[in-house]
Amino acid sequence: MRDIAVVAFAQSPGTSADRRDDMAEILLPVMREALGSAGIDRTEVDFWASGSHDFHEGRTFAYIESLDAVGAWPPISESHVEMDAAWAAYEAWSWLQLGEGEIAVVYGVGRGSLATDLDQVTTTQLDPYFLAPLRPHQDALAALQAQALVAAGMLDEKQMAEVVVRARAAGMGEPGAQVSGEVTVDELLAAPYLASPLREHDRGPIGDAAAVLVLAAGDTARRLAGRPAWVRGADHRMDTHYPGTRDLTRVDTVTLAAAKAADQAGFAAREVQIAELHTEYSYQEPLLTNALELSGATVNPGGGPLVARPTTATGLIRIGAAAQHILSGRADRTLAHATSGPALQQNMICLLEGDR
Amino acid sequence: MSTPPTPSTPPTPSTPPTPSALPSPVESFTSPHKVDYTFVAGTGRSAFLRGLQERRLLARRCPTCERVYLPAPEFCSRCLAELSEPFELAGTGVVKTFCVVNFPFPGQMIDPPYLVAYIQVDGADTTLMHLVRDVEPADVHIGLRVEPVWCAEEDLDTSMNSIRYYRPVAGGSDA
Ligand SMILES: [Zn+2]
Repeated sequence: MRDIAVVAFAQSPGTSADRRDDMAEILLPVMREALGSAGIDRTEVDFWASGSHDFHEGRTFAYIESLDAVGAWPPISESHVEMDAAWAAYEAWSWLQLGEGEIAVVYGVGRGSLATDLDQVTTTQLDPYFLAPLRPHQDALAALQAQALVAAGMLDEKQMAEVVVRARAAGMGEPGAQVSGEVTVDELLAAPYLASPLREHDRGPIGDAAAVLVLAAGDTARRLAGRPAWVRGADHRMDTHYPGTRDLTRVDTVTLAAAKAADQAGFAAREVQIAELHTEYSYQEPLLTNALELSGATVNPGGGPLVARPTTATGLIRIGAAAQHILSGRADRTLAHATSGPALQQNMICLLEGDR
Repeated sequence: MSTPPTPSTPPTPSTPPTPSALPSPVESFTSPHKVDYTFVAGTGRSAFLRGLQERRLLARRCPTCERVYLPAPEFCSRCLAELSEPFELAGTGVVKTFCVVNFPFPGQMIDPPYLVAYIQVDGADTTLMHLVRDVEPADVHIGLRVEPVWCAEEDLDTSMNSIRYYRPVAGGSDA
């Protein structure tokens, strides 16, 4: 395995709806900030990888527009994943592992606000025969999993509210947060249900944002960052397409991805100090922390996706935030988790470490 | 949709199917999707679209490489420099390439045959796609000088539809 590290990360402020900027405009300032903090010019970048989703933009090949923020002339080596940009980060990491180059830039643009109703979009990713015709909205699919956990005695609504109280308090002063503030468990439990047992505050607010991550290999990483955030292990696993065939109280794909990442890293998820989890719903935090055995780690210290969910940039922001804790010296070992698909269908785990 | 069984028809008594026989497969059903979107043009392209509402073709120049974009994004896609203030072009231009559409398809707005061209507006380094009309397709060629035909005042909009089509410049010579 080659040593690959995150050497810089930047993200735009979290907004519920950016009606001013196109994809390139939303991305370019973030790109400038990330390249600037790595101290590199774009001519030094060997590979570009991005993540976004045409169905969120309502146009075919919408991501092509974002290339105006990285400059497609002279021709560049470039790739795109049609999902959360965390998977673009995995692609770039693999590309560097293959020894194809020294520096890769990963970016994610999330424009969750463009679809008038994102639930019209998300049903299109479900199986077309039995589930998509029923048009289940995201919250209903998540609520099925939350209800299964409640019924199994693994979770209660008070626990979910406690997660939200902590996330909103942690989001105060965070530029990426769309919602934040001091709330109490009692206030939250008095709110009406959205899809029981979930209430409005139990889901991360969908919005628009961009994020940029700079990855570099070996000595290049050491040159570009004072304390590179080495990606020691990364793995992703997916469960079956049809949620009805799954035991929704289990996330075996998280356990498996974490075990595979730990094999590479030489340390386990439970040994990290900070974990950045892609919790689109409050109920997912206890489920994931249990699966990862994160008893001692601080989870989502900036509030996580429960205070901002810029769709296809959310998972990449988890990796960036986990790296930032190491780059800034706040932690020595961190974990990033990203998810995609209904009810935690797909999961990625990255284990990061800084030199001591 | 597959045809549901008619409730009034009782099951036909017949010999039981052989164990290996399967019902005839469902070959198709309909599951329509509809998604509504907000389009955000961005600050750069908005300048161009607002110009169309005033019968003006607004371009922007890159301060670094001098390329003139029409329509213009906010940044030069080569230099990433912020483009200059919008300025107006006369609107006349040249056919850079074209095709004749002879093929009918669902949702088609115009009766074929019709002519679609890339038009390089004078002063711009990029091309616009539009219709070329008021001319026999056989008489259109690369290099033909053309001018925009704007729509009526009441139909002007922040849309390419503000230009109905391009037509050969009267008495114009080729570029
Ligand atoms: Zn330029």
